[in-house]
Amino acid sequence: MSGLLQNIELPEANLPWLFALREKGREAFLRQGLPTAKTEAWKYTRPRDLQVDDFVMQTSPCHCSDECDCEHHSHSSLDDALPFDCYALHFDNGHLRHEHLPLPRGVQIMPLSDAFSFADDIKSRLGKTLNLDKYPFAALNTAYLNEGVYISIAKHTRLDKPLALVYHTHSCHDNLFFNLRNLIVVESGAQAELIEYHHYSGAEKSRYFANIVNEIFVGRDAVLSHYKLQDEAFKAVHIAFNGVKVKGGGAYRSFCLQKGANLARNETFVSLTEEGASTEVNAAYLMNGWATIDTTTDVEHLAPQTVSSQLVKGVVGGEAKGVFQGKIHIAPHAVKTEGHQLHKALLLTDTAEVDCKPELEIFADDVKCSHGAASGELDEEQLFYMRSRGIGEDEAKQLLIDAYLEDVLNTLPDTSVKQWFASKVK
Amino acid sequence: MKTPLLEIEDLCARVQDKEIIKGFNLTINAGEVHAIMGPNGAGKSTLSYVLCGKPGYEVTSGKVRFKGQDLLSMSVEERAREGLFLIMQYPVEIPGVPVTTFLKHAINAVRKHRQEPELDTPSFLKLIREESKKLGISADMLKRPVNVGFSGGEKKRLETLQLSILKPSFAILDEADSGLDIDALKVVADGVNAERSDSNAMLVITHYQRLLNYIVPDFVHIFADGHIVQSGGKELALELEESGYARFVKENN
Repeated sequence: MSGLLQNIELPEANLPWLFALREKGREAFLRQGLPTAKTEAWKYTRPRDLQVDDFVMQTSPCHCSDECDCEHHSHSSLDDALPFDCYALHFDNGHLRHEHLPLPRGVQIMPLSDAFSFADDIKSRLGKTLNLDKYPFAALNTAYLNEGVYISIAKHTRLDKPLALVYHTHSCHDNLFFNLRNLIVVESGAQAELIEYHHYSGAEKSRYFANIVNEIFVGRDAVLSHYKLQDEAFKAVHIAFNGVKVKGGGAYRSFCLQKGANLARNETFVSLTEEGASTEVNAAYLMNGWATIDTTTDVEHLAPQTVSSQLVKGVVGGEAKGVFQGKIHIAPHAVKTEGHQLHKALLLTDTAEVDCKPELEIFADDVKCSHGAASGELDEEQLFYMRSRGIGEDEAKQLLIDAYLEDVLNTLPDTSVKQWFASKVK
Repeated sequence: MKTPLLEIEDLCARVQDKEIIKGFNLTINAGEVHAIMGPNGAGKSTLSYVLCGKPGYEVTSGKVRFKGQDLLSMSVEERAREGLFLIMQYPVEIPGVPVTTFLKHAINAVRKHRQEPELDTPSFLKLIREESKKLGISADMLKRPVNVGFSGGEKKRLETLQLSILKPSFAILDEADSGLDIDALKVVADGVNAERSDSNAMLVITHYQRLLNYIVPDFVHIFADGHIVQSGGKELALELEESGYARFVKENN
């Protein structure tokens, strides 16, 4: 069986419910194994091709020796990673950095391993947004449940600035593997912005595997905006699953820009469980070389008058492959709902590829649904026009790419966060 | 002593497998305005695209020197930076790229090539505002994406605005009057005439004499079947208006 699953002693094994949950994850992963070309949900993105088997789970916080010149030993330079004011939590090679973070009233943050014993709602929430038998990597992540954070935002709290989860990976040894589980609870009437930034420093060629699961609960009339930038090292593997449950009148708004890693998948499963819940699942991907970047979405409308929209735009160059799988499910009684989805990709080379699989499952009448997919190339006439005015070919292409991604970037509110994302598509 | 700006010798060019320019010869000196007139399908637009280096337009033989340099070995953008400019018959729409962004990239690319400092935003905006005013271009139009939803007249005004800010040494006007009513035509012609000087030159491509009432050429050439069949002064255009192209086309067949 896969080398990814090792017998590692995890803390808090004396909690029976936690022990049982980890076991369930372990068994579910063993039953499924790694996805193959025959696994429908993974037919375009095949982890087996990349031989993820040889990754090694790290248990000690620091893996680098003192002679190592990676930036692990100089944290301070990394603190400037985000050019806007925020409450930032840092992870180094998958381990939460323990440092004091002054937080406003109504916000509670603790390492997940503390939350096992101290957070009241942990048992009722952990693992409740995902089906272990459907998501093999989330099952694997469950087997290793330990690292990550618990974030709780109390009723009617409005955060004055974003919360940021900054993941620094600076593996100077190959094949680092880490699992992170974040549990984010936004209680009724609360509003918050969550930024996720995955990046590397040090050796550009470092090969590591980040397996991340976010479980997100959005309460009644609460709003969580979740913006993610995946900019991993170009040989890295990044698999992320976001399981989200939204209650009545609540909203989950997400945007994910993926531009790094050799194999990456950002999968989002949103359940709109009560009347008036809504979600936006927007994404962009920008790739070159031989990478495969996958954006998979699944929005489940379980109640009347729920609304979802998805806009995903990709720019694919080199011999890279972009994948979009998007599903909208509307349950029988979920009348007067709206679900919209649009995926568009721009192929910069003849060897670039994009695979797209939209799925609509509508079991209710009186709903408004739409989906669309298109892929195209840069317009030769537009390029010629700009070049005939003296603009260089690369600069002209960049202007057209910026224009192409403009609408998806415009789904972000007009703040410094949006400017940051805009600067990252250059 | 006249300075030749553009020298075309025995130029032959094709699009896909079709030979369109067949042995074209013309020398244009600084300070001169030449007009090329010809029937539809004679290859007038092909000539302008070949000179600009548009992909898909293949030169099979001949030479073109621009300010003494081999024009044909330069890329599209190098030609533009050296001072070649084409007012296009049908300027393309570029959704998502605002006019000001586009103009700023263009002007700074050209300035950089001339080893002039790049314009900062305030001086750029000042320049654009002044030149736009002369051409009746509204501030709103400058904010819109390039040519998107523009009327025929607005498109040509934007082409003329680019001419006035990029200050090319050689401009080709390809059917600059198409899609223009008489008022817009005057505005565009005034804008073009304002750029005429002893150091630059123009090639006006048209099949109607009308435009030449406003942009008066020094020389008129009749273009048929891929090359010049007759050259003369501005009176040749009037002659054509009377007799039509049939005479010239027939002579060559």
